[in-house]
Amino acid sequence: MSKEAPKGIKAGHSRRAFLRVLAAFTAFASAWKVALFSDQAAAQANLSGLPLPDEPVESTLKRLFSNRPFQSGDGKIKLELPLIAEDGGNVAISVDTNLPVSGVTRANHMYIIADKNRLPMLAKFSFTPESGKAFIATSIRLATTTDVRAIVEMSDGTLYAVSKNVRVTISGCDLPPQS
Amino acid sequence: MAEVGRVSIRLPSAIKQGDVIRVRTLVIHPMELVQRDKQGKILPKNYHFIRTMTVNYGGKEVMRAETTQAVSQNPLFTFPLKVDRPGKLTVTFSDTMGKTYEGAAEIKFS
Repeated sequence: MSKEAPKGIKAGHSRRAFLRVLAAFTAFASAWKVALFSDQAAAQANLSGLPLPDEPVESTLKRLFSNRPFQSGDGKIKLELPLIAEDGGNVAISVDTNLPVSGVTRANHMYIIADKNRLPMLAKFSFTPESGKAFIATSIRLATTTDVRAIVEMSDGTLYAVSKNVRVTISGCDLPPQS
Repeated sequence: MAEVGRVSIRLPSAIKQGDVIRVRTLVIHPMELVQRDKQGKILPKNYHFIRTMTVNYGGKEVMRAETTQAVSQNPLFTFPLKVDRPGKLTVTFSDTMGKTYEGAAEIKFS
């Protein structure tokens, strides 16, 4: 008995140590798995068409520009949109700028943001010196009457923004609900 | 929609070396909209829409765009290009089903 007691304690110790190691390992593995999974999920959400949750425009701006202040782009960016869009599913937009795309401070990215869409960031365009000019024209979908912003991000981090209000008669984003 | 993925590129009729031209490109694509049930909940599935557009000119990437479902069906993009050498212009679209669609045009000086 007295001979076995230390052995038992020893066994207890080793079991405790083993359990501790096991617990640590499990925690590490699950943390790693979670990290991996969330990374994967993010990558999948980025590349696949899985729907993202609705987002207010403030969090979009925070996510993209992390609360950097906007400077007025009047005279630098010309945003052309119809005053009234009869079909929200096809609204012509053109953004023309006289900002340089080459040199030290150049226009890198252009964002089109509609404040009241489900996901406010509609499109992002990246320019290189070979573009010669920062300009884009395309057609977008608007959910409802909203402000549309065109934001140009310069290579030094300066943000120029202009916005324009568009009245939308028929929403371009709503499908009849599925039964 | 048998011709999903057809890409057409329009260039100006006369191009001079050193010009900044406007290239128009159209892709036939449904750009599927998000669907909701009667409670307004989004149906989780892989929606079919274009994620990226890349423009290559003479083998070099000159422009890139990230698009979402908020770009219209059969989208038309007009983008600038500084033409300083003859070369092949390719526009590649990739969508959420892992497919890529490519259109090409030759830049020549008149």
